[in-house]
Amino acid sequence: MRTLRNFLQALRGIGSNRVNAALMMLGIVVGIASLTVIVAVGEGVKNKVLKRIANLGFGPESFSVYSGAGRLFFKKAEDPQSMTLQDAEDIRALPTVSIVVPRQRKRLKAIYKKEFTDTRAYGVTPEWVIARDWEMEDGRFLNDSDLRRKRKVAVMGATPIRNIFGDKDPIGKMVRLDDIFFEVIGVLKEKGVTESGYDPDNRILVPLTTTMSRLLNQTHLHSIRVRTYVPETVPETMEAVTEILRRNHGLSSLASDDFRYVTPAGIMQWVTEQKQAMNRMLALISTVSLLVGGIVIMNIMLVSIRERIKEIGVRRCFGARRLDIAQQFLFEAVLISLAGGLLGSLLGFALSETSNQLDLLPATVTWEPFIAAFGLCALIGLIFGVQPARKASQLNPDETLRA
Amino acid sequence: MKEIRKSYRNQAFETEVLKGIDLNIEEGEYVSIIGPSGAGKSTLMTLLGCLGAPTTGSYLLDDQEVAGMSDRSLSQVRNEKIGFVFQAFHLLPGVSAFDNVMMPLIYCEKPPKDAKDRVIKSLTRVGLAKRMDHAPGQMSGGEQQRTTIARALINRPKIIMADEPTGNLDSHNSAEIMKIFDELNEEGNTIILVTHDPEVANHGNRIIRMKDGLIDSDELV
Repeated sequence: MRTLRNFLQALRGIGSNRVNAALMMLGIVVGIASLTVIVAVGEGVKNKVLKRIANLGFGPESFSVYSGAGRLFFKKAEDPQSMTLQDAEDIRALPTVSIVVPRQRKRLKAIYKKEFTDTRAYGVTPEWVIARDWEMEDGRFLNDSDLRRKRKVAVMGATPIRNIFGDKDPIGKMVRLDDIFFEVIGVLKEKGVTESGYDPDNRILVPLTTTMSRLLNQTHLHSIRVRTYVPETVPETMEAVTEILRRNHGLSSLASDDFRYVTPAGIMQWVTEQKQAMNRMLALISTVSLLVGGIVIMNIMLVSIRERIKEIGVRRCFGARRLDIAQQFLFEAVLISLAGGLLGSLLGFALSETSNQLDLLPATVTWEPFIAAFGLCALIGLIFGVQPARKASQLNPDETLRA
Repeated sequence: MKEIRKSYRNQAFETEVLKGIDLNIEEGEYVSIIGPSGAGKSTLMTLLGCLGAPTTGSYLLDDQEVAGMSDRSLSQVRNEKIGFVFQAFHLLPGVSAFDNVMMPLIYCEKPPKDAKDRVIKSLTRVGLAKRMDHAPGQMSGGEQQRTTIARALINRPKIIMADEPTGNLDSHNSAEIMKIFDELNEEGNTIILVTHDPEVANHGNRIIRMKDGLIDSDELV
């Protein structure tokens, strides 16, 4: 009860020292606001990456193996020319594998009459459309006969269609890729540009055999997409694939892999690592800024005790114990810190939303940082309130009133 | 109060302010303490008001030894038995008269259930029934001092201690304040006044003159 009464006095104390209270809050407000924004931006970036992963068309039972050492989409050095159709055949023979799509890729210009566009041509097999769960908008997809006969046929994504054909019906038209004419036989359904600006529709699919013999004049593959029957077998399948590729590429047990995997789990892990690195930085920044906020509270409060020495004295005259005074000032510190945390959270929320609205940075506001902010602020107020509270309570009543 | 000595240490120097005071004040007395500045009036008041402990000596308040009490017990004694009125009022700024008067009740061991009624009664007693919601800044000096008297009375103390209560007031307000003190004494309250002003001191029925840390004269009027 006495504690509650001291709490009410603390509220009153803040109420009648508003300017000081506002100054004390400042550091905390800035600290918590920046904390909130950084967390929100971190979440936003993560969500964006996750969306991008979703757009890569990976189910949990799929993975890709890319030619060249490195990690995910970051390739080390140049392309080794070691991945071949034989690798794809050997992988297909694995009992856990349902679909294997060997791929080649080339960046090129697609030209129709006087219109042209920069795009990517992929040499794929007919299973591609199943592996990617991609629907057709018009026409048909590549078939086995196209592949066998190395036909010069193309299935186009929505973006190059729009760029070079406009409103014209593309089916049956001849499109020039590099210097070779391909007949357009199908159009892929549009997926739309992702938030990160990646355009999955900017692609043209041609038979793998055609890219090998005509577009690229090479037999090695860019990547192989593998789909297993069930997600649970992905890890063991990857192990088996590693074994096949190392054997086929004649790598000694000392040599490192000349290929790399892109898996939903791998991407997730990468994102998580990035986030962890960011969180460490965040922890450092917020610790520093909140410490500064705490020190601001402590110092202004120590000064304000000088100003309020008469108040302390008169309270003591009328029966306040040292403990009552200490409690009151400690409560004031905690309350101010919490109020600063609340204002900071709101400010951070507003800034995050503004950043989103203006498309500066993606920001996703979650409730966790708010909870953390309150815990931290209470702690900061408590820690940095101790010294002023102690000082206030140590004042002698007779001396305070004489001062 | 027996053989009271109080000294203050100031780094190397030890200054003895009270050099052996023997004093007995009975319930219901109206005592004025006067003397030139530096004579030890305020220090004596500090000790009488249980705001500080004497360096040596004994102080029985209501048959209770106060010298050597813990901060906690001293606070409780102050809360229950003594009401202070200061020259500079010392009201809490930005807080209404009502809440200012309420303040001592916060620190009661058991706050009374009728706290609000008591505040109203106390303020009415000093003629401020209509000023209860005013903050100190919105009141005149006389009104502020009457608020402090209401505050001093709120916990029905045995002793009311007033340190230069009229020091910051004009003669008209001083007279009003002194009238309240006179009435309070007639109602049976013990009043101890510390003052420079002989006119104020003459309200008391016992005048203690101090000089150089000792009681110079002690006479009933």
